[in-house]
Amino acid sequence: MQPERCGHGKFAEELAVAEIEALIGQLQDADPGRRGAAAELLCRHGAAAAAAALALARACADEDDQVREWAAAALEDLGPPPAGSIPELGNLVGSSHPLVAYWAATLLGRSGQNAATATTALAACLASASDPAVAQRAAWALGKIGPAAATGRDALEKAALSADPRLARLAREALQAIGP
Amino acid sequence: MRSRSAPGALRVLFAGVALACAASGRAQQPGAGGPVAKPQDAVLVASFNIQVFGESKLAKTPVVDVLARVVRCFDIVAIQEVRAKSDEIVPSFVRAVNADGSRYHYVIGPRQGRTVSKEQYAFIYDTNRIEVDGSSVGVVPDPQGRLHRPPMHARFRTRVVPVEMAFTFWLVDTHTDPDEVPQELEALAGVFQAMQAARPDEDDVILLGDLNAGPPQFGAFQRIPGIGWALSGVTTNTRRTKTYDNLIFAQPATREYLGRSGVLDLQNTFALPLEHALEVSDHNPVWGAFYPAEVRSQSLPPMAGQPAVRR
Repeated sequence: MQPERCGHGKFAEELAVAEIEALIGQLQDADPGRRGAAAELLCRHGAAAAAAALALARACADEDDQVREWAAAALEDLGPPPAGSIPELGNLVGSSHPLVAYWAATLLGRSGQNAATATTALAACLASASDPAVAQRAAWALGKIGPAAATGRDALEKAALSADPRLARLAREALQAIGP
Repeated sequence: MRSRSAPGALRVLFAGVALACAASGRAQQPGAGGPVAKPQDAVLVASFNIQVFGESKLAKTPVVDVLARVVRCFDIVAIQEVRAKSDEIVPSFVRAVNADGSRYHYVIGPRQGRTVSKEQYAFIYDTNRIEVDGSSVGVVPDPQGRLHRPPMHARFRTRVVPVEMAFTFWLVDTHTDPDEVPQELEALAGVFQAMQAARPDEDDVILLGDLNAGPPQFGAFQRIPGIGWALSGVTTNTRRTKTYDNLIFAQPATREYLGRSGVLDLQNTFALPLEHALEVSDHNPVWGAFYPAEVRSQSLPPMAGQPAVRR
């Protein structure tokens, strides 16, 4: 491998990191057009924009439609979030904005057992969420955490009796994943 | 039967045709010259996830130009990810497609999704060559909540041959949730079988869309006799890293499949750098070619003086 090719690859990577950081900042811009543009560009980065997971989850509460749509689209293809964002995602699961709580739960679920510290928050969300999609994702996320989510068992056992067939199924699957 | 890939020469020939239909928009002014001539011995069915197809994308003229040229390459395009509050996105876009004299029309489904961020499916089809049975348009029921965005179905008929010979088929447009792919593929296998049984006079079902999965994950479909898919071993996203999009059908019924399929690579076809291609979509369109007449035996009937094709 040529040294300059190594340098080019590393340079491109640093540029991408710098660009993503700049776009994370731009998600807070006063101009909704610039916030939307930032969300759109982050969406185009795909999984490479994982560092923006928290910022994108928060952007799901933006007052502007286009910002929310691009943020949600970006999150759909983002993959798991950085481990450092898990504590704050645990907080966002309690958000009063359903779309924020939904994506926070989804990102925690994608983290698998690394999100074990968010079990209490997810169980609380499952027990209290008024939005069915949020409760369903909380149940799903607890299942993805697996045995480390054992303290969520009570909430899951109640959810397994829900009249919502999807919630009941996800809760049963989560209980199976957690084990006895 | 698994993926039927075209012989090398045919694939190269069709790649040339696809480039020609895409290039014609560059050479012509809107409305001048008319639509590109399409083959009489095949209809081209495509699927295209247009990634957040809404107001901001429609406001970008160069992007709309590329999208319109993509649609004109095909007889029907199943679209995923219409994401807009406005009901004007697809009608405005179809007007742009028809700016060269083409006669495309569309059907569009309801907004779907478990959160406030919802998507619509749409079919955009060339009315010179395809007609839709308006009474067949609907959404697959999903009372158990197994699918984030239950597929949209519609039944089409080709207009390239006399009506009594015309190939009729269901299209089932789908976009799975990337966080629940195995579960949704399992559910979609059930949808496919349900569509096969939906009408006693219709045995052709083509499930197409963004499956967020490639053939190695299609195990759920294996229980369907003769199941196959158009694309295997090729990437379908714009970054050329994943195989997410496909057309799935059952060969004993759908003998009309000609064994020709492909990916319309946005970067190559329109000479776009990656960043501009990503402005259009993070998915490339995918397509399959089907005989425009119903095939009831092992041989395709001759078309326009061509010898019968033994299958």
